[in-house]
Amino acid sequence: MSAPGITEPTEAIARARAGDADAWGQLYREYAPAIFRFCRRAMPTREDAEDATMEIFMKLKGKLNQYDTTRSFSAWLYKVAANHCWDLLRRRKIRQDKETDDVENVPLEHPEPSQLEKLIEQRSSEEVRKALEKMGARARMALVMRYYSDMSYDEIADALGVRRAFVGVVLLRARHELRQALEGNAALAAGGTS
Amino acid sequence: MSGSEERNLKHLDEMTLLLYLERQLERARGLEVSAHMQECETCRTLLRALERESRLLTRAMLEDTEPLPSRLAQFQEAARRSMQWIWGLAFGLAATGVYALYTGYIQPWQSELEKAGFSGTNLLGLLIFQSPFWKGWQPMITLLEILAMATLGGLGVMFLRRRIRRGSALALVFAGLSVAMMLPAQASATELRKGDRVSVGRDEVIHSDLYVAGGQIRIAGTIEGDLVVAGGDVEVSGTVKGDLLSASGQVRMTGQVDGSIRGYAGNITVKGKVGRNVMTCGGDVNIDRDATVGGSITSMSGRLSIDGHVQRDVLGMGGQANISGFIGGSAKIRSDELNIESTAQIGGPVNFEGNKPPHVDEGAKLASPVHFEKITHAPNYSSPHYYIWQLIWASAYILFGLVLFALMPTFSLQAVNSAEEHVGASVGLAVLVGFGLPIAACITCVTVVGLFVGLSTLALWYGALHFGLVVIGALLGQWLMGRTSELWPLIGRMCVGVVIVRLFTIIPHVGWVFKYGAALWGLGAISLVVFRRFQPAVAAGAPSAPTVQSLPPNTTIGGPLPA
Repeated sequence: MSAPGITEPTEAIARARAGDADAWGQLYREYAPAIFRFCRRAMPTREDAEDATMEIFMKLKGKLNQYDTTRSFSAWLYKVAANHCWDLLRRRKIRQDKETDDVENVPLEHPEPSQLEKLIEQRSSEEVRKALEKMGARARMALVMRYYSDMSYDEIADALGVRRAFVGVVLLRARHELRQALEGNAALAAGGTS
Repeated sequence: MSGSEERNLKHLDEMTLLLYLERQLERARGLEVSAHMQECETCRTLLRALERESRLLTRAMLEDTEPLPSRLAQFQEAARRSMQWIWGLAFGLAATGVYALYTGYIQPWQSELEKAGFSGTNLLGLLIFQSPFWKGWQPMITLLEILAMATLGGLGVMFLRRRIRRGSALALVFAGLSVAMMLPAQASATELRKGDRVSVGRDEVIHSDLYVAGGQIRIAGTIEGDLVVAGGDVEVSGTVKGDLLSASGQVRMTGQVDGSIRGYAGNITVKGKVGRNVMTCGGDVNIDRDATVGGSITSMSGRLSIDGHVQRDVLGMGGQANISGFIGGSAKIRSDELNIESTAQIGGPVNFEGNKPPHVDEGAKLASPVHFEKITHAPNYSSPHYYIWQLIWASAYILFGLVLFALMPTFSLQAVNSAEEHVGASVGLAVLVGFGLPIAACITCVTVVGLFVGLSTLALWYGALHFGLVVIGALLGQWLMGRTSELWPLIGRMCVGVVIVRLFTIIPHVGWVFKYGAALWGLGAISLVVFRRFQPAVAAGAPSAPTVQSLPPNTTIGGPLPA
């Protein structure tokens, strides 16, 4: 995928829209790794991520003419990927009971700043990835959309089917869930070593 | 700020700090938070922790880049290979299937029937097997061959597309088509004649097809190929070994045509011998006492008069029909009135649909009494047959839409969106394409380019008109059930919409407005999408879109922190 600052392959996109199989192949080679990584973070298993990536690209082929060329291609791509992954997760009813609760009414516990800072400083990327795998689908999906693919609050609201004003709550709840998972991992690790 | 002063401050909640970090607060609230941050160490610590958490999340998701699984690396190549061949293969199989069906079942069945002395006795048989419209099945097979060649050409262009641009590809296709159209003309060495008065003398022999255009045309000689005439007054007293095709004011055929007579004329009189069929549209069609037609007659005319000898069947539609000659097969007449005179002899059943009962003279020799059915101009709402037919039509439309939506999902969706978003352009194009195209196609039919292009265009137009109704059905479905860009949900909406449109079309007196209005609107939307597809694609040098960070996504977290 294009690195920041490098223009997107506009010509290849235009040719792929006109039905050029080679241009489509070029787009696939360029964007498939990033979309796979997105799916890998959003979906529960590696196999799910592979399936989702293939399905997303099959879908994209048919949808390419709907892409508004005045907008960013990669942003559009992530939007399609996010919608597809969330559809899959929703259909599989992966969302757990706690996610179907009316979370707007659940009060969020205010963290102790210094403790939170300490927790963040002590955790490695590897631990965060493990913690992400333990999270509920919606919380994980929200974090991936925001902190991996840099989607806006509007796009996240659209993909998850929630009101825009509620996206912040979803993200904050997801962070709390992540912190719990990180603490749980740490406790587990501590217990294991004792 | 001292610790005691800070203790007096009310700390901001985590939600506010997260929204501030992510630049989601309104400007006024953001300034308030900024001001608070300068005074409150605790909130600054929490904000810093949240920012670090964001960075940690992004880093964790970006690190550990797994290589693309081999399954995914192979997927693209496999999909590409299969997609390139799938359409060619599908077309090849379909063409082979049609050919096999014809040679394996229809042709033997037809020849067996002919050996047994049966002639076509129904409309379908009359239209298909006795080929009043076409020169028989052989040209249909030729048509299949042409289509197969066009597909081959299309595949060739697909392979070459890597090296050529879209414009060149289109030019190549059109050049190929032009060459394909010119080749048969060159091969058959067609002769052209035109002038106010054109004549072919009694002793003259034309060893090819002859195309004649003129005010007064006299053909007394022998034409070994087809004779195509366009003139004011045409008389053929010689011999035409092929077909006689005409678009003329008045045609008299007193000689011999070994093939068929086809075409339009204000007045057509056949006095001679026709080897095969007569298919005519005209004001007045006369099959004279001396005329012999080896095949069938299909006529759409103001007045049809059959006094001569017709070996097979007669299908007539028009104002008045008079039969006083011999018809070997059946007669199916739909006209205001039918007169069967005492000299008439009809070997098969006679079906008549008209406004009043037929007049049959006593001496007429009929195989069976005339079956009369009064024409009903309004649909019979009390008959269950009417509703069964409506159901069948709605199902046919849904099936038609299903096939086209599945074959061309993107095109179909674009057509539906066009119908909604560009109503003005769709309606404008509908008028142009809905009325202009058939006129252009009819004109094409009488030019040298030929019947094939004209009829193909008409068929395409007719199909598009029906597809237009399906498109509007899908649009209606979207209005009722919400917009979608997915194929199967769209097909579901199309089914619902088509049923509703069909329900509207059966409303007495105004139903036809809905029917033709929807079909034309949809046709306009389809034409708009086709028109846009022929527009150049996004130019390579077009300004690129503002780049939103792709890989690695550069997550935006908050603005510059207050000092």
